[in-house]
Parts: sequence; structure tokens; C-alpha cells
Amino acid sequence: MSSADTNHQSLTGRISDVLWRKPRLLLALLLLPPLLWLGVIYIGSLIALLVQSFFSIDEFSGLIRYELTLKTYGELFRPANYDIIIRTVLMASTVTIASAIVAFPIAYYAARYARGRMKALFYIGVMLPLWSSYLVKVYAWKLILAKEGIITWMVDSVGLGFLLDILLRIPIIGGNSLSVSYIGTFLVFLYVWLPFMILPVQAALERVPGNLLEASSDLGASNRQTFRHVIVPLALPGIVAGSIFTFSLTLGDYIIPQIVGSSRLFIGQAVYAHQGTAGNIPLAAAFAVVPIVIMAGYLWMAKKQGAFDAL
Amino acid sequence: MTFAVDFENVSRHFDAVKAVDNVSLQIEEGEFFAMLGPSGSGKTTCLRLISGFDRPTSGHIKIFGETSDDLPPNRRAVNTVFQDYALFPHMNVRDNVAYGLMVKGEDKSTRLSKADEMLALVKLDAFGDRKPGQLSGGQRQRVALARALVNQPRVLLLDEPLGALDLKLREQMQEELKSLQKTLGITFVFVTHDQGEALSMADRVAVFNEGRIVQIGTPHEIYEAPRTRFVADFVGSSNVLPPELSARLGGSAKWSSLRPEAISITAPEHAKASGTVKSVRYLGSVNQITLQLDEHEISVSSPVGVALPVIGQTAGLVWKDAALHAMDDA
Repeated sequence: MSSADTNHQSLTGRISDVLWRKPRLLLALLLLPPLLWLGVIYIGSLIALLVQSFFSIDEFSGLIRYELTLKTYGELFRPANYDIIIRTVLMASTVTIASAIVAFPIAYYAARYARGRMKALFYIGVMLPLWSSYLVKVYAWKLILAKEGIITWMVDSVGLGFLLDILLRIPIIGGNSLSVSYIGTFLVFLYVWLPFMILPVQAALERVPGNLLEASSDLGASNRQTFRHVIVPLALPGIVAGSIFTFSLTLGDYIIPQIVGSSRLFIGQAVYAHQGTAGNIPLAAAFAVVPIVIMAGYLWMAKKQGAFDAL
Repeated sequence: MTFAVDFENVSRHFDAVKAVDNVSLQIEEGEFFAMLGPSGSGKTTCLRLISGFDRPTSGHIKIFGETSDDLPPNRRAVNTVFQDYALFPHMNVRDNVAYGLMVKGEDKSTRLSKADEMLALVKLDAFGDRKPGQLSGGQRQRVALARALVNQPRVLLLDEPLGALDLKLREQMQEELKSLQKTLGITFVFVTHDQGEALSMADRVAVFNEGRIVQIGTPHEIYEAPRTRFVADFVGSSNVLPPELSARLGGSAKWSSLRPEAISITAPEHAKASGTVKSVRYLGSVNQITLQLDEHEISVSSPVGVALPVIGQTAGLVWKDAALHAMDDA
């Protein structure tokens, strides 16, 4: 009794009473800082970016004209710029599809079979690459993929060097060595973003009860049919979630293609170049809007296709 | 004669655990067969051996005369109603029911109309467009049933299908399952730990304990003539009497079973035995009276309305001679 009385008299006691009576007030207080951060700093700067993209640059003075126009967006469709967009989207799609294919068996194993120690090993194995610096990993890959690197050496020493040569002689995606070809860029993207695909797919598969698979085979489905009609639809939200990561991260990255690959630009590099040395902020902003529009379109399509129905 | 399901010395061991231990069992075509036992007694493993989700460590299982040891589940003429239904959450009810037909390659209009027929049979015709998540437990149960039956299995396996339902619904489903089985005439193999369910529905019951079958018989045989102490106690919780007590009460010098409802309370002077009344519990339809006979406790189910003895006093017990049943072994 006496302790309750003292609680009532102390300030913290009274505040906690008020919060207990008005739980919504507590929720509002807790949400205020993150909402301020997201709302003002994040969404605010996004809107500023959007607005910038509707300005244009004066070709003679190089100064920004603060009048709303679609002229800058029109510039995106000039062949040089349009190529950059197509190149980036193709790379992002390839990386996404490949990571889904590579991630699925790993995620399936982890979700259905790995227990105890193996499961811990799985998490460490998937997360470990994320603990080291992104730049270090990319430079490491540059060495691995270089003409004098371990891949060339290994392929040569088993006498399959000609296969690598054939691969590198393929127009567009080939090059002098893996480290200066699109194949190299692709491999590094695939490596760097793979954990972002594995984890959501694994989480989605984890939630598929084992008896659904038994029910499917009990009803006469072959393993292939069970995979197609039960496992994939139920894993789809995870695959879509993973693809949002791999797709948007590839769309926006400007470091990997700069270190590993040909000198042709990706969207991220174009943004970097236009807002920096070229001083063309409106065009940089317009380039930056492209991934946002593509992702919005992608999510809308995924929703229409029923990717989130199993959620 | 070919049996619907024929177990020949089947064992399923998980390392040192003998989940199913040398079980031989014949289930006849068109029979409603119950596998009854406490959890961990091997009954569910037996069901999984029939459906093919698990394979015997030794022994053989024949389904309609065909050895099924190497057949995967999708090539067996049996279908299962799962304990928690296992409905596909991403498909609507109609597609769930039509699933088995779809994977067999039936065209869309045929399979959907067959699914609708089956949904009508389980009285869910109006629910075809719903997702399983929007149904109640009883409705999901019916969908699971329709989804299995649409494939016209020769044997339907039911794994504790009524376990998740509340009492009223469970009793209603028991009747419906029974009449459905009569209409369709196919073999039902039903796993349950609920002895009331097994007795009321099955043509024959196999009582499982520790991976073995301890008794197979009609519900009547199982209840009236339990073969072991375990069966007597598990099926309807009988008074299990040790040999000397049985002999003293006029039975044979063997472990014996005396059903609580076979005993009536009377005055000590015309009684076959008498004891001190320890407790009286009111259970609605009956009063359960516990008496102390020397070092033994005897429980009596007495219909409500019959005069109750007073706790602490001596009461007499009578029963028909045939009610004191001597069991084959301990």
C-alpha cells in the first residue's frame, strides 16, 4: 500500500500512470523520433530530389533554371542515356534471377533440413560476407577475376583455358579478362547481394508446414508438381522480398561496375557523374528517379500476379 | 483373400526407439478400422507407413495385395486426411479439393465440377471461393475430407481428424463420417487416442501400446473382454483387479477387469463385497464413487438419482458374475 502511494507522488510514477491510462500516447511518443527521421530527413529529401528532376540546366550558362519542365526527363531518352538505363536494368534482372536460382536450394536446405549446429553454421555462412567491408570484397574479386588471377590460373591448369577464352570472346558480355567484362560485374553483384536473397527465401520456406508437402504427394503430385504448385507459390513472397533487395541494390550501385567491368556506365555511376563533376543536378535527379519508378512498377506487377497472396 | 491393408511383421525403428514393433494386421475391404492408443504408441507411424510417408525398417505392407514397399506416396491408392488438415493456404477451397485431379492432368472444367460435387457432399457448396484461412475448424475438416475423397481412394486414412474440434462438433462429425463411410463403401483407417471415438465409429479396433498391437477386435470385444491390464485401463478406465483380489471376489485367480458401471451400490448385508466410501464426484450423467477395499480402490459409476452412500461409511457392492472379466495376461 505504502509503496503504491509513493509511486503516485513521484513524477515518474505519475507519468507512468498517465501512459498506462493512455496507451496511444505512449505509442505516439515512441514513434515520434523514427517518424521525424523518416518523414523529414528521408521522405523530405526524396521529395527535394523529385522536384530537382523537374528543373533543367541552361546549356549555355550551365546554371539550373528553376522552372518546372519535363525537358530533363526527355534527355533520359537520348541514346547515350537510354543505353545506361537498359544496361542497368538488364544487369539487375539477370543478377536477380541468378540469385533466386542460386539462393533457393541453399534456403530450402536451411529451412527444411538444417537443425541445431548446421543451422547456426548456415546463418554464419550467409552473414559472414556481410561483416567485412564491401570495398574489400569487391577489390578481392577484382584480383580473383583478373587475367593473372586464380580463376584463369585454375582453368588453365586443368587444361580448360580454351573454354574461358570462348566465354570471353562472346560479344558485349565478354572482354579481355573476366575483371573487365560484364560477366565479371555480374559475378560480383551476384556474390555481394546473394545473402539478401537467401535470408527472405529461407524465412518464407521456414513458414511452409511440412505436412503441406506430404499432403501434395499424398494427393498424387510428383516432386516436380509439388515444387511448382506448393513450394514456389508459398516461397514467392520471400523471393519477391529478396528480389526487391537484389534488384534495387544493383540498380543503384555505382562502385562495383566502376571497379570490376567495362568502362560503360550504370545508372549509379551516371548519377554520381552528373551531380559531381558535370554539375547537372537535374539530370542526376532524373536518373535517380528511374530505379524508383522501375521498383514501383515491379512491385505493382508482383502484387497483380498474386505474389503476396500467401502472406 | 486379399485385404485392403496387410501388415506382415512390420517394424519401424528410429535408432533405438521401436515406434512400430513387429506388427501384423489385416484390414478388410470396406471396413471402418480404428487404431487406438496413447500418444507415442505407434498408431500414427502405422498410418504413415500405409500412406508411404515413412518406410518400414523390416516387414512388408500390402495394399490390395500389392506390395507397396517401394511405392512413393503419390502412387498409392490411398489418401489421407491430416490431423491439422494441411490445406494449401494459397488456393481457394475449390482448388484445394481439385488439387489431386489437377496433378493427374484432368482438364479444368472436369476437375472443378468434380470438386464442386464433392463439396456438396460435405455440405460446403457455398464455400468454394473462400480461402482455407476464412473457414472454421469444422469446415476445414470437411474440405480436407472432400480433397481426399475426390481422388476416389480405395483406402482413406484419417489421422486424428476430429482432435481439433470442440465436443459438440466432434460428435456431429463422428456420425457424418460413419454414414459417409457407409455410403461410399470404401475402407476407412482411423487413428485416434479417444477411446469413445474408436468405440462409437469403428467396425474393428486395434489397441496400440509401445509400438505393438495389444488387442484387435470389435468395439464390443475390446470393451467387454479386454485382453490385458493396459486395454482394460485405457479403454473406458476399468477397475483392474490383481489376481488375489479377483479370486476373493469370486473370480479366477488372474488379473481381472470390472467396469465401474457394472457395479451397483447396495446395503453391505446383500453385497458381494463391501468397502469404505472415500469420495463421491458428480459428473453430470453419473456419480463416480470411490471405495476403499482393504488396500485397493474400486470406482463405481452410479446413475444420477440412485441414492448416494455417505462418505466414511461402509457400502456394499454387487455385480453380475459375467462382469468380472479375467484377462489373458498381465
